[in-house]
Amino acid sequence: MNLFNALRYGWNVNVLGPAVLRLQRWQAQRRPARWDTRYLAPPLRIAPRTKELVARHWLAGRYANGYRKVAWVTSGAPVELLKALDFYVLYPENHAAICGTARVAVDIASEAESAGYSRDLCSYARTDIGAVLSGKTPVGHLPKPDVLFACTNICQTVLFWYRVLAEYFGAPLVLIDTPFVYTEEAAEHAVRYVRRQLEEAVPILERIAGKRLDERKLRQVGLLSKRASELWLEILQRCRHRPAPISVFDQFIQMAPIVEMRGDPETVDFYAALLKEVDERIATGIGAVKNERQRVLWDNLPIWYRLRYLAEFLAQHGVAVVASTYTNAWGELAPLIDPDDLWESMARTYIYPILNRGTGHKLRTMQQMVKEYQLDGAILHSDRSCKPYSIGQMDQRDRLIRELGVPALLLEADHNDFRVFAEEQVATRLAAFVEMLG
Amino acid sequence: MASTPTIPSRTETIRAWKEQGGAIAAVLPIHHPRALLRAFGLLPVEVWGPPRVDPAPGAAHLQPYVCSIVGNALSFLLRDGLEVADVILVPHACDSLQGLGSLLLDFVRPRQPVFPLYIPRGRRESDLQFLADECRALYDKLAAATGRTPSEAELMESIRREEEADGLLAELYRRRRTLPLTDLAFYRLARAREYLPAEEFAALLRAVLDTPPTDPSAGLPILLSGIVPEPMGLLDAITQMGGVVVADDLACCGRRLYPPGTSTAPFRRMAERILNAPPDPTRGSPIAERLRHLMGMARETGARGVVFYDVKFCEPELFDLPLLRRRLQEAGLPSVHIEVDLNDPLSGQILTRVEAFLEMVAHQTPEEGHR
Ligand code: SF4
Ligand code: SF4
Repeated sequence: MNLFNALRYGWNVNVLGPAVLRLQRWQAQRRPARWDTRYLAPPLRIAPRTKELVARHWLAGRYANGYRKVAWVTSGAPVELLKALDFYVLYPENHAAICGTARVAVDIASEAESAGYSRDLCSYARTDIGAVLSGKTPVGHLPKPDVLFACTNICQTVLFWYRVLAEYFGAPLVLIDTPFVYTEEAAEHAVRYVRRQLEEAVPILERIAGKRLDERKLRQVGLLSKRASELWLEILQRCRHRPAPISVFDQFIQMAPIVEMRGDPETVDFYAALLKEVDERIATGIGAVKNERQRVLWDNLPIWYRLRYLAEFLAQHGVAVVASTYTNAWGELAPLIDPDDLWESMARTYIYPILNRGTGHKLRTMQQMVKEYQLDGAILHSDRSCKPYSIGQMDQRDRLIRELGVPALLLEADHNDFRVFAEEQVATRLAAFVEMLG
Repeated sequence: MASTPTIPSRTETIRAWKEQGGAIAAVLPIHHPRALLRAFGLLPVEVWGPPRVDPAPGAAHLQPYVCSIVGNALSFLLRDGLEVADVILVPHACDSLQGLGSLLLDFVRPRQPVFPLYIPRGRRESDLQFLADECRALYDKLAAATGRTPSEAELMESIRREEEADGLLAELYRRRRTLPLTDLAFYRLARAREYLPAEEFAALLRAVLDTPPTDPSAGLPILLSGIVPEPMGLLDAITQMGGVVVADDLACCGRRLYPPGTSTAPFRRMAERILNAPPDPTRGSPIAERLRHLMGMARETGARGVVFYDVKFCEPELFDLPLLRRRLQEAGLPSVHIEVDLNDPLSGQILTRVEAFLEMVAHQTPEEGHR
């Protein structure tokens, strides 16, 4: 780190940037709602703060090279290790989702496609590789990684993808391989294997970070991580209330900090404030959907470029999407994190995300959600370029219909690539689904 | 040049094995410890698709964007194609095979026990130890399913038998250009490893290797990469177009030239053999390592171009492809990429592309080649 980089970072990230972002927040608070408030509740008051928090994170990334070590990380990775070593942590999946929401993902992914990356590959990966090749990004600038940290607990795709990044950046790739859990319990030798890899990663990360891992700091980060995840889970569970105070579409937008800022104190404060606002909504009888008649489940990733369309279309018919296996994934493991036995609990926590478990487990999770959230139906987004989440959905849908008697729709789309979103077909299928809900 | 030596078919092999009182393990791609299954009297019979099955039964469970290796395997099973199997082993190679294993266990529930096997993605000591433990866990499951408990000596004997067969297969690869085999015959023989008992396979190979060497096969030397050379008619077509396959990086063949192990502990030795096989994206091998491997093969064999022959929707292959192709091209090795669905016939379009590629390579002077 040289003095110039430190000053540049301090000025932009701690002084100038926050002032500009505060101003933007102030303006946002005064802007009229963009989504149709005839059917939907007014936007959450916290929304401009979410934007500010996320923008600050990306702003810090913009000036990180030369000041802080940078790690590019998969969304399910044990980030606590990196946080405790003061890495700036960048999540390419989140960046890709930002591109999706801003509807620039296809333009950026095309850069990867022109370089030979197939349209059959995960659209997050294509967006990210396209951003690396072209420098295009809606967040200003992506810092180069000093290390790539991939954990296979969401899919194998991330490893194939990070191997590509390793070539482009010449950066070391640290792998935490988490054997897929086909049955209810992970085998003990699999947990042992994950723990061993976590321990083996430490000296490598220490060498790159240029400092030793402080166990006390790691414990502190673990505590913050657990607390934020618990708050997130509480917020989601508030949607058991009728009418649900927030919808899954709100959750998709509010989940950015739990993914990319897990382990930071600001994240805990943020979710405590969100929980408070959600409780206020419950106390005053505000529902995310004004005339909530039916409640449904969402399975799989969001369709980032059509959040508003889906929210408004469904709300117009009195349908509130109130629970999701996807947003739940960042909360359900909170009880497993034990800051007093961090290494063992990290191994267990990171082997058990829903995406690292069998198709039967996902069905049981959905069935449980249908009961706990009193759901009337389910939308299963069959996501063309996310195979690990989508395989199994055809049986899951059939079983939801057969065993719980709820209508379930398989909706063909893609999380980031709007070229596979067949507008008319989706509208027809959604209309038919809404009719079946009654 | 002679054609195929007489290779017993899958059906004959299975029948003969069962008549001797043996049992069958249907095994999905890619890597698995054959020796472990054999020690339990199970003959591993691999299911790479198979090609050209009615895809409808599988389509009731899998979306159309899942590769045909997985789709066909499920359709085949649902059409009673795996009735002869006593157990089903599903190694983990990618998200799609993972999904298939999970579907079988949770929803399809065939009458046979289904055993998944996780193959780690690195080559560190922890990976080796894990895979050894995973083999031990599979041993326990097989013991429960078959009622047999092979001793350590029996396991080592089984490993030795497989190592011998693999050693001969490696020799077959080394001498492929001076053997009296067409490309099609070579791959029919090499792929018999997918179902023949190791000792029968070894005997077959010995007979071929004992034949006097012929003049090196003529033709434009090329390298074949991908998952599986289906339809196999592709190989004859390449010969007719004046090409000759001199080396391969196929998941069903060259990526499974397992070297002998060194450990005297059977499970660890099984793990060593799998992890020390040639680079493979599904085992997490870095792209640079794959590139070195391809370049090394091309140098040794004089290959002048690479045909990447992939199964549609195969992520492990598709991620590596752009960088591999670009760097091979920079090194003077042109390539072509072809994607197939296992249910499609060998189309005129594919043949035209291969032919155009071979012509292009033939017109490139060797100096323009490898740098
Ligand atoms: S979208 Fe699916 S395939 Fe892509 S990184 Fe996420 S889990 Fe993996
Ligand atoms: S063809 Fe590719 S995607 Fe399909 S099972 Fe084989 S490795 Fe997996």
